[in-house]
Amino acid sequence: MLELNNQYTRLKRRVHAMVLKSFFNGTLEEDIDKIPFWIIPKDTCPSRCCIYKERAMVRYRIMAFMGINIEIDDDELKPLSEYYKEVMQNVIPAAPVITTIGTACSSCPHDQYLISDACRGCIARPCYANCPKDAIYFEKGKAHINQELCIRCGKCMDVCPFHSVVHIPVPCEAACPVGAIKKDENGIVNIDYKKCISCGKCTRSCPFGAIVERSSLFTTLKYLQGDDKVVAMIAPAIDGQFPGTLAQIKQSLLLAGFDEVVEVSEGAAVTATNEAKEIVERLENGEPYMTTSCCPSYMELVNRHLPFLKEKRSDSLSPMGYIAEMVKKREPNAKTVFIGPCLAKRLEGIRLKTVDGVINFSELAALFMAKDIDVREVEATDMGDTKEFEDCREFALTEGVAGCVVHRLQEGQEIKPMFINGLDAKTFRGMKIWPKRAPAADLVEVMICEGGCINGPGTIVSPKLALKLRGGNMSAPAKAFKK
Amino acid sequence: MKKKDKILVKICVGTSCFVQGGADLLLYNDFLNPELLDKFEFEGCSCLDACKRVDNATGDETRAPFVMVNGKLHGNMNPEKLNKLLTDELK
Repeated sequence: MLELNNQYTRLKRRVHAMVLKSFFNGTLEEDIDKIPFWIIPKDTCPSRCCIYKERAMVRYRIMAFMGINIEIDDDELKPLSEYYKEVMQNVIPAAPVITTIGTACSSCPHDQYLISDACRGCIARPCYANCPKDAIYFEKGKAHINQELCIRCGKCMDVCPFHSVVHIPVPCEAACPVGAIKKDENGIVNIDYKKCISCGKCTRSCPFGAIVERSSLFTTLKYLQGDDKVVAMIAPAIDGQFPGTLAQIKQSLLLAGFDEVVEVSEGAAVTATNEAKEIVERLENGEPYMTTSCCPSYMELVNRHLPFLKEKRSDSLSPMGYIAEMVKKREPNAKTVFIGPCLAKRLEGIRLKTVDGVINFSELAALFMAKDIDVREVEATDMGDTKEFEDCREFALTEGVAGCVVHRLQEGQEIKPMFINGLDAKTFRGMKIWPKRAPAADLVEVMICEGGCINGPGTIVSPKLALKLRGGNMSAPAKAFKK
Repeated sequence: MKKKDKILVKICVGTSCFVQGGADLLLYNDFLNPELLDKFEFEGCSCLDACKRVDNATGDETRAPFVMVNGKLHGNMNPEKLNKLLTDELK
């Protein structure tokens, strides 16, 4: 996967902040068609072929930001202001959460091994000797690969003493753990939504930004403008994503227009308690193992690829499910908006009647930027009594969920946990054989993102830094946070 | 080298800089040439207002994230550039 912050993500955030700034000024309808020109003015040095294509790409990013399904609803003759009017009038369907920009796709050639100019045409010829398919031939004293015979095993790359063999992957295909990305006849990216588990790894992998999230932020913006109370439910991973403490982030949300802020960790405590009860019961009934159920991308994985795990996963709701229930019970008319690092959470949000909207940290960052909210300067607010669920903020980290479950076992009870820390094609293959060879553990914690939710597709800060900043612990970059 | 002899590097951690890559700069201990670490003093600072002043500017150098080295403002920073900037500063 690409680094979290690169030219593309920065451009995306600028576009988002600019759109929101106009939105809050009340001028978006007249500004929206000008924004591509503001972002890419005429003296810009383009990264693509020309500034006109760059502007067209900005236009698509704005469309995705408004939640338009570009694959289906792209009409080049329609001004963005028309799209905007429709978005404000209609309810935007939230699924699928990903869409592709065909014209942004570079139609990368199939993944292949090539022999570069570094080949010295040595006489030992280990590449030739080790190729199981006799795909290597020599021309003018240098090695070449017959692509029709090559099975991409990579043995030649391993043995070349001059490192002259290069592997050129297709980033999106390589990132997808379940093989949902294929190319169409023109080599343009094509997602098989029946297979897609909405993990979002591809959105973070394409260096051309051709696979994008269909944001549902505008649904939330409409709530913020409406009369109903809007409750922000902040995921445990939010701590460490902004330059301030959790209490400052809460206050920033209130300033941004939310009426109340609750921590999803409170729901996580219920999940952990229920799962602790459930695992003991299941083991007593002779079941070999149970898996956690809070990662929504894992839920999709089970539904679409590993149906045998349906009875093995916990019946507990996710932390979002419980917290939304609590809020709705207290205030049935309030709009509940989950703010997290996750793409797949949107699908869970559609399924749960108690959740009205789901946005991610990146979108929240744009919201803060547009409203000039400086998290670090904001006065910290009272977090309330968090003693009961504080430890569940660890749900955002790998081993954190299982840790909280173990912590909630009765005395004398013991379980052996196991961790699936991030899903790739190999781990996926390993899970497929579980019916024959059950995992050697009682509780299997599954997180599709490596490292946990703090490495989700909607995050802003690298997991390494987020870990340092979490818990209001500013001590790590001590000087960095001196006022 | 005494502390006061060190050159001050302010890393802007205003929201706008922080979310556009400024956060990465806080890991300076990991990416800077170790020799540079004792010649400079690092601190995170509140918004330098640089992003607001150049709101509609187009040049790459006038965009978040910003750092201030020895009182001079530098935009569009990333770990590699900061390394180079600080190395040049010592020349």
